[in-house]
Amino acid sequence: MWEAVEHWQWVETFSSTGWMYASVSVIHYLTMFWFIGSVAVVDLRVMGVAARKRNVAELAAQVFPWAWTGMVLALLSGFMMFLASAGDWAPDPVFHVKLLMITLSLVATLIVQWGAPRWALSAEIPAWAKVMALVCLLLWIGTILAASEIPAMEGLG
Amino acid sequence: MFELLVSFAKWLEGTPWGIGVRTSLWAYPFTQLIHFTGLSIWIGTNLALDLRLLGWGKHRETAAQLRDDLFAWNWIGFCVAVLGGFLLFSSTGSTFLVNVAFRWKLGVFVPLALTWHIVVQSKARTWGQTSDTPMIAKLSGLAEILLWICVITAAVEIPNY
Repeated sequence: MWEAVEHWQWVETFSSTGWMYASVSVIHYLTMFWFIGSVAVVDLRVMGVAARKRNVAELAAQVFPWAWTGMVLALLSGFMMFLASAGDWAPDPVFHVKLLMITLSLVATLIVQWGAPRWALSAEIPAWAKVMALVCLLLWIGTILAASEIPAMEGLG
Repeated sequence: MFELLVSFAKWLEGTPWGIGVRTSLWAYPFTQLIHFTGLSIWIGTNLALDLRLLGWGKHRETAAQLRDDLFAWNWIGFCVAVLGGFLLFSSTGSTFLVNVAFRWKLGVFVPLALTWHIVVQSKARTWGQTSDTPMIAKLSGLAEILLWICVITAAVEIPNY
């Protein structure tokens, strides 16, 4: 089934045209760094180790719209790269771990985004919120690790 | 000069960390992890300032405020990215040196983008006093984004050369 996807005409054009595939890879790396970096800054602020002078809610409101823009672009570009070799990616267990890590990281990110304006109201950020931010940061680092393991273990990507 | 670089790269390949990253199944992806984690923080904080200078996005903070908020972690991200990059280079440096895409990346685009970033970051304090930024700030922010796109493009092209 996934093999067939690779042979859709536009997918074949995309994967066999060097500059198209390269451009989408560049978009994937750029927007992934942009997204993870933006979320990391809010996580670090919640943990109390970055931008301590700035209100958590202010920083989150400034940064999150950028983060989600990057996220959407990273997902779209990643999906196109997936389609180009769908037959190899779909059954790959390390790729499944990567997708699971992305899902968990997104849930953690949503919790941090939901919490930021609430935590900003209290005199001190609750300890569980700091732990949540750390978990969110570690999950994203874990996602990068899962992504780096795919070429190392499977020779894919 | 190039001879010197090659012998330096060869020496790095023989160091314990160079051998370690090259030969261990686990070390290479972990080193990539260091490089990419640093890059995420570096690129994420760079783009935040550039986009704010461009006026693209929310105006909750001024560019000057954002610059100060992100300054420390911006450079922490840079150091982590350089550490990871140095370790990756140590594993097979001499093959990187003859790679055209790598030469463009490290020889041209990274020095340009980095210099530009330092200028933008130091000017952001004056450019970013008010919510709306001057035209020069917008153009400079845009230029920095384009320069980092050049760096990433060269990096993506390394395996193709």
